[in-house]
Amino acid sequence: MTLQWGYKRAFLRCALLFVAGTTLQMAFGDVNNGFLRYPWGLIIAINYVYLLVLIHFQQERWPWLKRLSDHYACISSLAAMIVMTIIFGLTRQDPATEGLIGAVGFSRMTSSWPFNILLLYFTTTTGLAVMDDLHHLRRRRVAAVMSHLAVFVVLVAGIFGSGDKLRVSITTQLDKAVHVGLDRAGRQTQLPFAVTLKEFSMDEYPPKLYILNTATETSSRDFLSVEEVGATAVVDGWELTAVQYLDMAGRMPEQSDYLEMNHVGAAPAVYVRAKNSRSGEQREGWVSCGSFIFEPSYLFIADNLAVAMPRREAKRYLSRVEVLNEKGEKENFNIEVNHPAKIGSWHIYQVGYDTSRGRWSTISVLECVRDGWYSAVHIALWTMLAAGVVMFVTAGGRKRGKEEKR
Amino acid sequence: MSWEQLIWFAAAATLCWVTGAVLAFRSKQTWLAATASLMGSMIFFAYIVGMWIALERPPMRTMGETRLWYSFFLSIAGAAVFIRWKYKWILSFSTMMSVVFICINLFKPEIHSKSLMPALQSVWFVPHVIVYMFAYAMMGAVTLFALYLWLRKREATAEELGVCDNLVRIGWAFLTLGMIMGALWAKQAWGDYWTWDPKETWAAATWLSYLLYLHLRPHLKDNNIAFALLCFSFLLLQMCWYGINYLPSAQGASVHVY
Repeated sequence: MTLQWGYKRAFLRCALLFVAGTTLQMAFGDVNNGFLRYPWGLIIAINYVYLLVLIHFQQERWPWLKRLSDHYACISSLAAMIVMTIIFGLTRQDPATEGLIGAVGFSRMTSSWPFNILLLYFTTTTGLAVMDDLHHLRRRRVAAVMSHLAVFVVLVAGIFGSGDKLRVSITTQLDKAVHVGLDRAGRQTQLPFAVTLKEFSMDEYPPKLYILNTATETSSRDFLSVEEVGATAVVDGWELTAVQYLDMAGRMPEQSDYLEMNHVGAAPAVYVRAKNSRSGEQREGWVSCGSFIFEPSYLFIADNLAVAMPRREAKRYLSRVEVLNEKGEKENFNIEVNHPAKIGSWHIYQVGYDTSRGRWSTISVLECVRDGWYSAVHIALWTMLAAGVVMFVTAGGRKRGKEEKR
Repeated sequence: MSWEQLIWFAAAATLCWVTGAVLAFRSKQTWLAATASLMGSMIFFAYIVGMWIALERPPMRTMGETRLWYSFFLSIAGAAVFIRWKYKWILSFSTMMSVVFICINLFKPEIHSKSLMPALQSVWFVPHVIVYMFAYAMMGAVTLFALYLWLRKREATAEELGVCDNLVRIGWAFLTLGMIMGALWAKQAWGDYWTWDPKETWAAATWLSYLLYLHLRPHLKDNNIAFALLCFSFLLLQMCWYGINYLPSAQGASVHVY
């Protein structure tokens, strides 16, 4: 097999871009995208797209420009991105990495020169394919046109909008307004609104009981999920039965039993019966995961074996917040994971809470994200989703079309 | 429905799939083999639905649960290709692959907890996993077909290569759908469409590799390159699916832990 000259030239171009990127990386360090802030990111993006339009329309005059949009450029840029992505996947991303990997930027791939230069080359070939698609629009190629266009918009927004994105983390406390947070670099950042946490609530999954080996500090793989009184399961040869279950309970130091307690800091408690399936040996007692007030309780059933309840897993957690904007208008939002609040170009996400207090947490960690390119990327992604559907629907049709032609 | 019942449903489904595979060679009636094969898929799907109801959440959280979907979609993909292109061997291949994944689940059972962390409670969860599993199944089928064409002595015909192209086109369309759904979901959950999490990085490599095939194939004179690229792409897919669980560079760095 001999490689055609077109391929050789295109792959050589990629190799040169890689060498150039590596040289720049070694000379100047990581790419600094700080200058790509509004309006400069947008201005540069518009100029870049204008340049691609110029290249497209000047190809007849200067045929060498065709080399940026021909089949060989397409294949070489795709292959280069595959190689870079594989290197990306094989290299642990750790900014502290030293040695050759760190020097050429592979351990900080998204800010490395070789990756970004080859990504820009890939974006350019995609952009020129879009120009060609739009110039010679054909109904048969509708899925390809939509995919090219969507990928191009996503790449342009990802590259030139990378400096515009702002993430500000805020820790809200009950009834205290917060309007300053920390960005990813730990700098204090003023928000254009104030957030007040009005209520934090959490739903949890039923408690699970495991058998803990205290000598090896390992727990059983099987467990008893206490969904109701009477729930039973065989765990490591022991039949565990939930005789009594209190969702909110507490035990005073001098008491042996857990009692119902509707108070902050209450913990779930299960009175469990453990029966050894072989020997018939039986043990009973309270087991609780405890809380920030109460110590956990275990039921010891044999030497080095105890029934234990880990902290309950969160099913959902919700922050009810009040947002006061610059105009003095107040608005209430319920924020939970997968359900952010939208305020202008900002979104507020539920990130965390005080895990040591669990459902009794009085703080909620939120993240405010400003993404100026949100709409463009969102529309592009939905276009690509539609392109995927069109491609699937029309996948079998091409063969028939060819046969009809013949 | 529990994990213990899988063996019975799997046995009944396998019986139907094997019957379908045999009928594909023995009977001239295409619909007979297709019906038998689809009946097996429906039996297997009934088990998945049963698990869904019993777990009170979609059975898509653990690796074992995704394997259930893979077995199911492989059988569906096999039947679809058989109905569309009448390839007799495809039902044998899809049956074999489905049974391999069922056996892994039988010999390496997993505890199916009802818990579903808040980030997974999204409208995107079910379609994201289902379209990815369907894409994986399509790519599995096309890899087997490519290997068959590559290893046999006779040159592949234009029609056979056309089948490869169409299967990749369908699989790639579903890879795209899965990736975009994941991006839209990530934006809703964390505020970023794409974070170059190891799973995402390998998903991008896989997506690009199949995209390279789609762009390269019409210009290729040597079929060996096409077949090699399909096998290579499928290796990337394996890395994306479960390989990152063993990859040192990905340890502790991915949110896609299951």
